[in-house]
Amino acid sequence: MPKHDTPLLDELEKGPWPSFVTDLKRQAEKKPECFDILGQLELSFRDKITHWKHGGIVGVFGYGGGIVGRYSDVPERFPGVAHFHTVRLNQPSSKFYSSAKLRDICNLWEKYGSGMTNMHGSTGDLVLLGTTTPNLEPLFYELTHNLNQDLGGSGSNLRTPECCLGRARCEWGCYDTQDLCHTLTMHYQDEIHRPAFPYKFKFKFSGCPNDCVAAIARSDFAVIGTWRDDIRIDQAAVQGYIKGEFIPNAGAHSGKDWGKFDIKKEVLDLCPTECMWMEGDTLKIDNSECTRCMHCINVMPRALRPGAKQGATICVGAKAPILDGAQFATMTIPFIEVKKNEDGEFAEVVEVIEKIWDWWMEVGKNRERVGETIMRVGLPTFLKVMEVTPTPQHVKEPRSNPYVFWQEDEVEGGFERDVKEFRKRNAQ
Amino acid sequence: MALSKDELKAAILEKALNGPKAQLYVKDFYACDPEAGPRDVKNAANDLVKEGKMDFWSSGSTTMYAAKGRAKDEEHR
Repeated sequence: MPKHDTPLLDELEKGPWPSFVTDLKRQAEKKPECFDILGQLELSFRDKITHWKHGGIVGVFGYGGGIVGRYSDVPERFPGVAHFHTVRLNQPSSKFYSSAKLRDICNLWEKYGSGMTNMHGSTGDLVLLGTTTPNLEPLFYELTHNLNQDLGGSGSNLRTPECCLGRARCEWGCYDTQDLCHTLTMHYQDEIHRPAFPYKFKFKFSGCPNDCVAAIARSDFAVIGTWRDDIRIDQAAVQGYIKGEFIPNAGAHSGKDWGKFDIKKEVLDLCPTECMWMEGDTLKIDNSECTRCMHCINVMPRALRPGAKQGATICVGAKAPILDGAQFATMTIPFIEVKKNEDGEFAEVVEVIEKIWDWWMEVGKNRERVGETIMRVGLPTFLKVMEVTPTPQHVKEPRSNPYVFWQEDEVEGGFERDVKEFRKRNAQ
Repeated sequence: MALSKDELKAAILEKALNGPKAQLYVKDFYACDPEAGPRDVKNAANDLVKEGKMDFWSSGSTTMYAAKGRAKDEEHR
């Protein structure tokens, strides 16, 4: 395959940052089709339009996800990328893998694909970029038989579940995110590999409200660790921060001299619900007002810790802005204990998931994310489906409509009444 | 479910083979048996793929079903 002139792409190599153009040129020495990627991208820059088209019946036998068909719309000019399918691999929980495993995957991809990868895709998968249709089955065979590695999700499937580091490395994990992520991945293999829904559905698991995997913004089903008792305070350590014995934020912002630590300015006054104050040398927190922003805990990790009664909040319906703009997930289940039963299943979490799915599969329109369905039918309807009693936190703003629409079961005697009897008393 | 699983699969395949649309969403098959649950319909359609009678067609973000030979790859559009 010939090298193409790429003056526009070459500009991208001139800055101080690593450049994917340089990487592609290096890779093209081993894989000449990478010259065609550069050539086609240069053409796209000139034409101001993509020259990729995607979609098709590519895949491996029995699987309805994990491979995204991709083709060039100018294959006669760039035959090396006429087929350029993407393969998604299910990453291990928290992306814990050995360098040997990564090397094996990269070697296999050199054998069957372009050698280019995307580490990692938005849902966390290891993304392998660029292979041909005939290579898919042998690649899949070696992945599953030799590397013990499965494909991830794509299409109208459950997408590859993703979790934060959780208790493996983080002291703030309020539940075992890796265990929940792995257990649900195994429990829902059919939903990951074969289409089941009106559209995509994503799980993300964060161990604490810092939400390191951005579950609240990027998943249809966000499980975010929380606690229901009081933030644990070590008053001696609070004094240690005030006296400058400990570096605030665990040294995270230490590249600049911010001056002496000021607990009032840096913690108390920044509390969004103003629920913290000092009484002499004692830090006080009105925990009933705490909104779990994590700021105080992040600033003084030696002094403050999440409470001891731990579990998770479940939020539903985040999405990116294809329709109606981006949307955060809505808090649906304020607190749930995340624990396994004697069968090794997270039965309570599974029950919540399947209640959502049963409703959405019935009511959701084609290509409608669950958050869009909730927006369309209204949160009160969704909460009724979920058998959740509305709380003040579910109310976005005070109602402006003065009419109250009662449900029949909320009215004494229901909607069926003896009109003549009613009028005897009320319509004189 | 008003239909047995085999009857449901036959109704789905009939729609995929002879319906006006070459590619269908799973919800398009719900009408094959209005009394069947969404999971029953999904499982029946997926069984037909395993049996080699239907194909998955995926854009990457959405997946549709088509009778074998009716869906076209983007390569051929």
